[in-house]
Amino acid sequence: MKDSCSSISRLLEKHFDRETTVDEGILVQDHLRQCTPCQAQLKSMEELRTTLRTPVDETVQKETFAWVWQKIEREIQDRAKPSWQESIRAWFGLSFPFRRRVWIPAVAVALLIIAITSPLLFKETPSHTELSIVEYVESHTNNVMVFESEKENVAVIWLFEGPEGESST
Amino acid sequence: MALRRTRRRIIYVMGKRTRSTIVVLVMVLAPLLVSTALGQVQTRLRIIEASNVGSSIDPALRDVHDQLGSLFNFTSYKLLRDESLALAPNRPSEINAHKEISLEITLTKQQKNKAEYQIRILRERSEILDTKVRLSPGRTVLIGGPKHGQGSIILAISARF
Repeated sequence: MKDSCSSISRLLEKHFDRETTVDEGILVQDHLRQCTPCQAQLKSMEELRTTLRTPVDETVQKETFAWVWQKIEREIQDRAKPSWQESIRAWFGLSFPFRRRVWIPAVAVALLIIAITSPLLFKETPSHTELSIVEYVESHTNNVMVFESEKENVAVIWLFEGPEGESST
Repeated sequence: MALRRTRRRIIYVMGKRTRSTIVVLVMVLAPLLVSTALGQVQTRLRIIEASNVGSSIDPALRDVHDQLGSLFNFTSYKLLRDESLALAPNRPSEINAHKEISLEITLTKQQKNKAEYQIRILRERSEILDTKVRLSPGRTVLIGGPKHGQGSIILAISARF
């Protein structure tokens, strides 16, 4: 082993874990081309990894992890259902101070809109029949004319008692 | 003694004119207040004779002169009667308008600022007109047509709230 091997050996582990920088990688690669002991050390590292990895991979491939999923599902079911307030809170995902900052002006604006619009919505608009003065008029003996003047606020019911009566109005 | 003296002093301070004004006000307002308390509506009925004989307008009809002038073609208007009736709900009141013409007026409904009347015009006791009218402050109904001499009778009905 050369003197430079001692400085490279630290980088060799990093190189094996693929953690070296580009410059460090070039340095290690150049060194490995010339140094057989370091090549052997790297090879032994790879062998060790393979030895450790193979049984783990085999076990993982055999395992379906069904029991893990069952456990997770049980956990989800066992967890208490949140109240509707918590659900809403979670749905909005807002923290308490932020909620206050948003909801107070929102409620104030809503109340203001209700206060402005409610008199208009619930305002009683008199119907035509309510505005008129004469509700009904009936005469079995004479002709009758009804005239309502909105401008004068007056209604006239005229009873025609003869042909000359019609010309008087 | 002290109380009697104080009362005398108040009467003296008020003076004759003030006292007479208060008496008049009480006399005017008392029937209105009593009728309101009893659920009555003060109803004004004016019986007018309208004709084309002459061109005189009764001074008592000054307030409705413009209305009459814009609605009818008569040249003369004479006030025959001016009645103030305190009508109680569903109690018909019969008034003899002129000779064979009479009217029966009934307050059928009374609301805050609204009064409904049923008015029947009768000629020699037989009905010639039946109507239902709704009056509110400032509104007048004029019922006209029945012959009277050379003209016609006009009934002006308004309610006071």
